[in-house]
Amino acid sequence: MLTSMTKTDFQKPKTVEEAVTLLKEAGDDARPISGGATLVALMNARLVQPSRLVSLSAIDELTQCTYQSDGSVRIGAMRRHRQTAFESNLKAAHQVVSGAASQIANPPVRNMGTIGGSISFADPAADYPPSLVAANAEIEIAGPEGRRRIPAEEFFLGWYETALEPGEIVTAVILPPVSESSVGQYEKLCRIAGDFALASVAVTIDFNASNTVTSLRLAVGGCGGGPIRVEAAEQALIGTKLELDAVVDAAELVVAELDPIDDVRGSAEYRLKVVPRLLQRAFNNLVETREPAQ
Amino acid sequence: MSQPVTLTVNGKTSDVSCGATTTLLTVLRDTLALTGSKRGCNQGVCGACTVLVDGAPMRSCLTLAANIEGQNITTIEGLPEGGDLKPIQQAIIDSDAVQCGFCTSGMILTAHEFLQRNSNPSIDEIRTALSGNICRCSGYRKIVDAVALAASRGGA
Repeated sequence: MLTSMTKTDFQKPKTVEEAVTLLKEAGDDARPISGGATLVALMNARLVQPSRLVSLSAIDELTQCTYQSDGSVRIGAMRRHRQTAFESNLKAAHQVVSGAASQIANPPVRNMGTIGGSISFADPAADYPPSLVAANAEIEIAGPEGRRRIPAEEFFLGWYETALEPGEIVTAVILPPVSESSVGQYEKLCRIAGDFALASVAVTIDFNASNTVTSLRLAVGGCGGGPIRVEAAEQALIGTKLELDAVVDAAELVVAELDPIDDVRGSAEYRLKVVPRLLQRAFNNLVETREPAQ
Repeated sequence: MSQPVTLTVNGKTSDVSCGATTTLLTVLRDTLALTGSKRGCNQGVCGACTVLVDGAPMRSCLTLAANIEGQNITTIEGLPEGGDLKPIQQAIIDSDAVQCGFCTSGMILTAHEFLQRNSNPSIDEIRTALSGNICRCSGYRKIVDAVALAASRGGA
């Protein structure tokens, strides 16, 4: 079926360094392949015809998720969504990431898709981008010049665009240490089960002993070219106890920063109406998580 | 151009010649003549091509054959053991859960793996487990009933 006119060559290196060299050699039309959930779909639609495919599935380092001694968590780029959804290393505020993973597409696709592949494609309606911004994650990237790390906020540049340079691959997502009292929540609205988000909200919060918010990060997905962090709303909520009035006021600040479009999933106007409700739902669910029984 | 790829399908290992971009679905249907896996959307959305790779349901249309050498692939043809239908297969028959049949093999493989993990599922859990498999006859009710029936009989 669908025989391509150009020859594609297939490589399965054992190390990141070999993978990067193989990609560099083959030039701009080479593509790394992880789970295939996105790239093969694009190839089937004949939107991409790689000259070389470099499979990342034999690189052990990429398949690990490790809890580091400083409290950070390193999620290898080849970790499947299903693994991340059930990852026991992700606790407290890190659950904004496992929560997002558990809502990506559907069970069989979660068995295939990987965190590195998903963020490299950078669909603005995907689930990881806002959750990684809310989690203050860093993205580890390997390229011909070696490795570098950048904050998730600087990784997502706009519609399907990332900070990856040609020949570079994502090797890991690093989540910073979090306190035990912190919480994370991801809320998504989609038309049908398994769809990309019409809009989504990711929040991480920490509280003091009297339940006052001491830190908070908030990002919105599906309402612009990439995840949108709204620092004004974060500042407005720090020092509150997430009272309804405070949340309503903060939601207005969030809506002011969004830049949604009309598309097949919904109108821009609808998205602006939905986001404050998603925020409210995220905060309600967080409060329930913290205080399970009164 | 083509290269030899060694695939283990339904317990049988064979060398197939295919291109780097050839999907598992194409190899199954066109080379190995296992046409129980269906090509629906070819985008990973519909679930008709679902097979088990090392026991986990995956989309064969999004899986490159060259990328899964050494893994065990189970298609609907390989699900019965020694000619005996699996409980979910019998339950699909007993519940009259087949209409046109195009989604059936993907539904069965997905449900089979789900029932192995969850032997006493709620209706909501069944619906969530099958949410990645589309039935365009919209015959979901009886499919969900069949999964519940298989569970009530204690099988997968």
